[in-house]
Amino acid sequence: MSAATAHRLDAMAGLALAGAIAAWWLGSTRLALDHGSDASRCADDALQALWLVRVTALAMVSVRVGALRGWRPGVTAGLGLIAPSWPVVVLAWSAGTRLATHVALAEVLLLAGSVGLPLVGLGLHRLLRKADLAVISGTVLGIALAASAWATHGMWYMPSP
Amino acid sequence: MSRWRWLLGLALCGLTDAIAQPRIDLAATPAWNGWSRPGRVTEVDIRLSADLATRATLDVAAGRQLVRANLDLEPGRIVRLQVPIESAAEVAVSAGSPAAPQQRREVGIALSESPLLAVGLATDEPVHLEGFHTVALGAEDLPRNASAYASIDALILDAPTLSALDQRQLGALLVHAAECGRIVILNADPRVRRVLDGTGGCGGRALMSASSLTDAKEMLESSLAPRMGPATALPGIGEFVRPDHVTWNRVLVIVAVYFAAATLAAMFFASLPVLLLVPALATAAILALLHVMQPSPQLVVWSEAETGATTARYQASQRFPSLVRGRARVPVLPQLASAQSCDPTQPMRFDFDASRGRATFAEFDTRLFQQISLCYAGSFPVARAIAIEARPDGLLQVRNAGGVGWPKGVLLAGGLVHELPALGPGDDAIIHSRSGKALRDALVRTAMARIQTDGAVALWELELDGVADIPPQSKAWLLVSIPPP
Repeated sequence: MSAATAHRLDAMAGLALAGAIAAWWLGSTRLALDHGSDASRCADDALQALWLVRVTALAMVSVRVGALRGWRPGVTAGLGLIAPSWPVVVLAWSAGTRLATHVALAEVLLLAGSVGLPLVGLGLHRLLRKADLAVISGTVLGIALAASAWATHGMWYMPSP
Repeated sequence: MSRWRWLLGLALCGLTDAIAQPRIDLAATPAWNGWSRPGRVTEVDIRLSADLATRATLDVAAGRQLVRANLDLEPGRIVRLQVPIESAAEVAVSAGSPAAPQQRREVGIALSESPLLAVGLATDEPVHLEGFHTVALGAEDLPRNASAYASIDALILDAPTLSALDQRQLGALLVHAAECGRIVILNADPRVRRVLDGTGGCGGRALMSASSLTDAKEMLESSLAPRMGPATALPGIGEFVRPDHVTWNRVLVIVAVYFAAATLAAMFFASLPVLLLVPALATAAILALLHVMQPSPQLVVWSEAETGATTARYQASQRFPSLVRGRARVPVLPQLASAQSCDPTQPMRFDFDASRGRATFAEFDTRLFQQISLCYAGSFPVARAIAIEARPDGLLQVRNAGGVGWPKGVLLAGGLVHELPALGPGDDAIIHSRSGKALRDALVRTAMARIQTDGAVALWELELDGVADIPPQSKAWLLVSIPPP
């Protein structure tokens, strides 16, 4: 697969994630407005979901791509996954109760993850010296990271002010 | 040596003067002897004074609402103001200035689940009305804001207590009487009766005059049996104040445009800078758009009166749709009375103008999709008298029985909506009772719900063009109920 095609696929995957959560958020907001209930809860949930889903995708893709194709393609893949959600993040923050600093910190952590996780994949490749084994190990490690993010999301759940 | 002592004494005196702080005295008394009902409005009477001239800030906090007033205090002058507030178990009144320590008073409000009967008698005769909780009052316990009468459900006043009321208390009492408040005046002299006769709303049925306490109780009991006039309440006109979807539709379009643009960018440009630039620019553009597309507030006024009544009661809702996270400061409409947050759980701050005795601005936090509303309630003079005669041939003869003409409106009778032509005083029109339309939009549904059995209502849209500071998207209706013949 060429680098351009890979960029496109990553960006499309990021857009699909953001689009699915945006559709769910706007739908639940419309229902909340129709029923006269608080729409900010939907926005807070959407922010949380955007964070969790991108952490999961990033952990699974970045480590694997880093192991398979190196650090730079890994970073590109990670950024392609997380960046398309920014407009939805801003809209959900505007409708929610989360502090701007919390949301900004979460995005910075995701950016740091997109830079750091491919290094883990690259390290695995150099450590194991076999591409196939590195890819499998990277994928397993990414899945473990994603699973731990889901399992412990209650601990770093962004509290409302 | 003595000269040095004298200079030192002078310096110390000057220093004492320089560091002298004004001392603020604060007293707060609730209306109705501290009684109210949950979700109703009451009033706190506040007295403030200072021994030195100072500018003080007064805060009255009840529930999640805060009323703030800036006051210029002068030595020897007591500033007195009556602040209408939402009833809460504890009301905190505090006053302070940069130069003076803050004074704070807690005012306890007893919230009764039972209806309240307020009794202002010069004698100590016990009064009991079944199902009511009785609150004994002196003249000073009566409020000066008509909105604070919402705290009680019935009132008995004798002549001495009535004559002890000041001008503002009398004004508030008369407004309450005009708004169909149940009031019995005991042993009123003929002059007072004549004054009160024309002021009672609901055809004067709510304002009663009794010669003894037993009569007063019987009158109140019999007045509880029928429904007292049209009970205007915002839940009843909920269909008008439902949030609209303009903001949601706009956000949907913004999101759709972004995803379309980002998909096109991903299809035609594969470089990382472009894939990063598109969402970054879109984020900035969305933030800018949210700030630019501020929707205007909307006002809905729903008023009701009985045919021939001199006053109509109204409920109004002013909605502020918001798009951005921030804080809004909006003017309170001066033409409408008793401004308060429609949602008691919504934190809101009101700026109170002590000289005019009313809130002037409201401040609250905003966010996307949030629709904060200010509710108003009050009454205004009206002159609409309609006489309807059902003829055996199935025709309705509608006559303007008042002294003032009315514009075109609609008549709702027999479950149908009829066009009501503009009629001058004394003019009449014939309406075919079966020729009406079976419309069921939000307006008709709300109006239909107000019709008494076999009765009818007339509905007019009110013109608000001449009213200053009214939001452009405002609507107002007047419903006049016509009892069954």
